[in-house]
Amino acid sequence: MMLRRAEFWGGLFWLGVGAFVAWQGWLLELGTLREPGSGFMFFWLGLIIAAFAISIAIGGLRGEGPLLADLWRGARWRNVLLVVLALIAFGFLFERLGFVICSLALLLFLMTVVDPVRPSISIPVSLIAAVGVWYVLEKMLLVQLPKGTWIEDFIPF
Amino acid sequence: MDVIAGLGHGFLVAFDPINLLYCFIGVFIGTLVGVLPGIGPVSAMSLLLPVTLSGTPESGIIMMAGIYYGSMYGGSTTAVLVNIPGEAASVVTCIDGHEMAKRGRAGPALGIAALGSFVAGTFSIVALMLVAPMLAKVAVAFGPPEYFSLMVLGLSILSFLTQGSMAKALLMAAVGVVIGLVGLDQINAMPRLTFDRLELVDGIGLIPVVMGLFGVAEILTNIEQQIRRDIVQSRIGSLWPSREDLKASAGPVARGTVLGFLLGILPGGGAVISSFASYAIEKKLSRTPERFGKGAIEGVAGPESANNAAAGGAFIPLMTLGIPPNVVMALLLGAFVIHGLQPGPLMMSQNPAIFWGIVASMYVGNIMLLVLNMPLIGMWVQVLKAPYKILFPLILMFCIVGVFASGNAVFDVFVMIATGVLGYLMRKFGYEAAPLVLAFVLGPMLENNLRKSLILSEGTFDIFVVRPISLVCLLIAAALLVAPLLPALRKKREKVALDATD
Repeated sequence: MMLRRAEFWGGLFWLGVGAFVAWQGWLLELGTLREPGSGFMFFWLGLIIAAFAISIAIGGLRGEGPLLADLWRGARWRNVLLVVLALIAFGFLFERLGFVICSLALLLFLMTVVDPVRPSISIPVSLIAAVGVWYVLEKMLLVQLPKGTWIEDFIPF
Repeated sequence: MDVIAGLGHGFLVAFDPINLLYCFIGVFIGTLVGVLPGIGPVSAMSLLLPVTLSGTPESGIIMMAGIYYGSMYGGSTTAVLVNIPGEAASVVTCIDGHEMAKRGRAGPALGIAALGSFVAGTFSIVALMLVAPMLAKVAVAFGPPEYFSLMVLGLSILSFLTQGSMAKALLMAAVGVVIGLVGLDQINAMPRLTFDRLELVDGIGLIPVVMGLFGVAEILTNIEQQIRRDIVQSRIGSLWPSREDLKASAGPVARGTVLGFLLGILPGGGAVISSFASYAIEKKLSRTPERFGKGAIEGVAGPESANNAAAGGAFIPLMTLGIPPNVVMALLLGAFVIHGLQPGPLMMSQNPAIFWGIVASMYVGNIMLLVLNMPLIGMWVQVLKAPYKILFPLILMFCIVGVFASGNAVFDVFVMIATGVLGYLMRKFGYEAAPLVLAFVLGPMLENNLRKSLILSEGTFDIFVVRPISLVCLLIAAALLVAPLLPALRKKREKVALDATD
């Protein structure tokens, strides 16, 4: 039962982070108090993180806080997963397909699959937003956006 | 340069047509993001940070400042009409503001919020103008130990005031410092936690981190719930409060203004806590406290004045010490730095046009806000009717564009996605992002001043206790860290957190 507490798993995660940071600090060299080295802050911060993480994990073992499963009870977690996957795909395709195509695809995906709206709204909103933002940034503010390495030979402008 | 001459010079800068335009854009966008739930001043400022590069430093910073105090105005509209705080500082306004709206008094609620905000905003600018030069003179005497201790104090106050577990808040602050230190060591140029990635050598950017932790995480949290907006359908009516309303609100506005300004100055304090404190004080001072929660105009006037005064007060530590007291000011510091400026005690003498220009633009911006908020309420109500399912994809796209434009690197987009997921999980597990972001910004300064202090003192920590300012800061910080261990204080702190959550 105690192992199902969110506090325990949260604490355990940060304990891992703290231990890693302290180890990296140790590798970077601590120096001396007269002349602290590059790893001085990392080492001590790692230990501080680990200490707080242990206190939080112990709280979880004592039964404090909600159960891990309760955090997502009744939540539409599928939406969260879809948005994160869409963003990751966007990141990988951004430079390859360019800003306009990627943004258009992202907006249509979010407005069609994640939280659907009528196509009569989603299509014009996506088109106007993607092309409008591209025009303002690229043409008016002269911010360079990716044209798309896979398709730039086919773009006339 | 004395205050009057400085202000005169500042108005010359503020009335430059291009600066007037930037000021207008700032307060307009600020009001808009204040009105819209799900996007706050932090996201909007990060988004527009790259845009400031195209203009002069004063234009960009005038716009960024406008977004901040503009959002404080706009937040009240959503709180009163929809019962959703447009931004965190308007949480308290929901309680009585929405009750007033349900009873057909939305107009006076919005009117007093705008008037109180105007009075408080103007007061805080006058006070900023008078206090900042004095504090700047004192700040010249600050050395590395004082700066280090002041930053420790700021992080301690913020951790103390965050909702829920203080251990989690302090843990977040430590994580923030670690993330802030990624990149080249400032003293011996050694790469740290870069994992041989060239993109990490210059450190992790502020904009992707803030956009991820606040923008993306907010969207992920919102889309897993069904958002229902209960917009008040009745006519808003006259915005001008009655004579009785004005009489009842005068005291709360005055008290909220002074309280907000003082809490705004404190590192780690700010608009959110000042609005809660003002509400608690007004309820305590009232002869009829039972009216609070049922549409008492004092419950709107006090907190709205307090959060606007705090927004002005927060400029003082940034302008005079170079230390941002909250996340928004940290972003403003980012705006200064990308223009090659360093806020601090010498700012007023070395860059008077910028300092006084910003101060004067705040007067102008406050008048613009009054004009924007009173007659344009109808337009903001229409904005509020836009469904979230259309808004969130657009906000997400703006986040990506803002992050990419800030560094022209897809790597930053991935940093934003990673911090967005982290921020979402942090909200789920009850960890707050504010201490992390403030510590992230202060991290390099904190380390630099600690190491310099230790080098100066030849390796002893005495240097932090023999200097009075440093000692006082550390004693207060220690008291705040120990306070939650005392049962009476712990109960009080938990109550504040509970009130905030409700």
